[in-house]
Amino acid sequence: MNAFYVFVAFGAMLLLMVVGMPIAVSMAAVGVIGGVLAYGHPFFDAIAPVVWGVHNDNLLTSIPLFVLMGELLLRSGIADKMFGALAAWLGSMPGGLLHTGVGCSALFAATSGSSVATAATIGTVALPSLHSRGYSTRISLGSIAAGGTLGILIPPSVNLIIYGSLTNTSIGKLFMAGIVPGILLTGSFMLFVFFYSIKNSTMPKEAKLPRAVRVRLLKDLLSPAIIFGIVMGSLYGGIATTTESAALGVVAAIVLVWRAGQLDWGLLQHCFVQTAKTSGMILLIITSAFILNLAISLTGVAESMTAWVTSFGFSATQMLIVLVIFYFVLGMFMDVLSMMVATIPITFPIVSHLGADPVWFGIFIVLMCELGMITPPVGMNLFVVQGIRKDGGPIADVMLGAIPFVLIMLLFTAVLIAFPQIATWLPNKM
Amino acid sequence: MSAILSKDRFEKCLGTVFGLLYVALSLFVAAEVVLRKVFDTSLQGADELGGYALAIGATIAFSLALIGRAHVRIDIFHALLPRRLGTVLNWLSSAAIAAFAALLAYCAWYVIADTFVYKSVSPTPWATPLAIPQTAWLAGLVTFAAIAAGLTARATVLLVRGEWKILDDEFGPRTTREEINEELQDLEGRSIAGRKSLGGLAKRKARS
Repeated sequence: MNAFYVFVAFGAMLLLMVVGMPIAVSMAAVGVIGGVLAYGHPFFDAIAPVVWGVHNDNLLTSIPLFVLMGELLLRSGIADKMFGALAAWLGSMPGGLLHTGVGCSALFAATSGSSVATAATIGTVALPSLHSRGYSTRISLGSIAAGGTLGILIPPSVNLIIYGSLTNTSIGKLFMAGIVPGILLTGSFMLFVFFYSIKNSTMPKEAKLPRAVRVRLLKDLLSPAIIFGIVMGSLYGGIATTTESAALGVVAAIVLVWRAGQLDWGLLQHCFVQTAKTSGMILLIITSAFILNLAISLTGVAESMTAWVTSFGFSATQMLIVLVIFYFVLGMFMDVLSMMVATIPITFPIVSHLGADPVWFGIFIVLMCELGMITPPVGMNLFVVQGIRKDGGPIADVMLGAIPFVLIMLLFTAVLIAFPQIATWLPNKM
Repeated sequence: MSAILSKDRFEKCLGTVFGLLYVALSLFVAAEVVLRKVFDTSLQGADELGGYALAIGATIAFSLALIGRAHVRIDIFHALLPRRLGTVLNWLSSAAIAAFAALLAYCAWYVIADTFVYKSVSPTPWATPLAIPQTAWLAGLVTFAAIAAGLTARATVLLVRGEWKILDDEFGPRTTREEINEELQDLEGRSIAGRKSLGGLAKRKARS
């Protein structure tokens, strides 16, 4: 199996995806065709136990559970209230409401997990007030698009669960590893907004709310904090496995929704249907990924690609720089979830061979996915933000507004490569 | 109109089964964690149950995602293709999903046939006969395949009759616009509900 065939297969898969075939089917088709070409009919029989293995994997049960938890917090309006509380605390800094947008997107996306829901909610609440108070349109739009990407890095993150399941990496460690980079990247976004606002003195300033009001609003941050504490606390303390922590999260979310007086049958049904649709989409892609993975491992593609890449004599750092470019370009055209699952079976063995830490690489991959969400032409968050703005401007505003944030992410990736401890320090404390 | 109503009801029914399955699982697992940590005892089998819940839940979720057109497709270049080609691709992607669903159902059949031959049980304290969860799994995947085949049959009829517009509407990729509109609608509903509950709270306070 030489590298040429791999590129042909990968190219075919990309083509199927780009012309609008379902992502899951595109991946499975390439996997099945490749496997059958190599092994004939017996390949079908090899798929069967793999599919049962994936569908019976208790670890993956955490995906519908985390999605359900997020839906409950989102549809009950618990997540919406965070905006007011954050606005009260962050609004008086230079850059005012922009910080609120970034901070809130980070928290919101971390709990809800859906970037469309995040951008729609934050954008709808924030954009009109940003617009009417005279904030720069581009920075407003860009900060909301970029803020919405933070959710897949900050745990609980479905992307990290998928990475962990494909590479047999501890989800608990991956979640821990996401915390520090998540906070630092959110901080970097805010720092940029801060300095940008100081330089552009035309940016409006927000009045400071009285302390008593601010303290009272803190209670709106309590529910998300409780959920985060239960999920991450039980994982960090070794009390629960990933799926158990997700189950605890669901139970806690139901209790919080009930305490907020929002628990009724209509809401539950709505959450159930939404959760089923989202998880069905994710789980079908994962099923395909494992079929593709089977073809890749049986045909020795990973080994031959590793041999091919090592023949260039790259150091680990050089290889990572190549991968940054690879993912940056790929992320422009691919949906990020499929980009992740389709490439990991090949890139993971290569970087492992060069000595990269599997937990660290998970954070790296997710960072690359975040970039893909705000790089045109296929940058989901750009379209979502463009879709919710009411002023009718061109999408170029959003793309230009996102550029500084793309640069920050690239810079952050460089820092993460230079100082891998940013990701590995916390999980090593477990 | 009645077709839409029944689709909605079907979604809600399946969704409820799916949701209650995971809520029940969560309660069981949460109880297990508390018992294990606080009382140092165990209900056993929460892990195993989680695996079966996934096998059954995933198949329901596949079907619901299919009906809700939630299986992701990249729509940006698709929209740029010549219209007829785009329509044919819409038909093809429906057929491709049906073929994939059929493959999964075949896999389930293959696995379960083995299970019956070897009378396999799970390697756990419960020693569950695997035929039980796998039968439910097979049924779920067959349902998924049947729905996909039914939808493809409809798409084929539309294609043959040359009803391009309907085919595009029903089988085209869900656009970002549609997704955003759904979210915005939901958000509006939430803020109305929020105001109502705040109003209710104020009334309750006024009474006390």
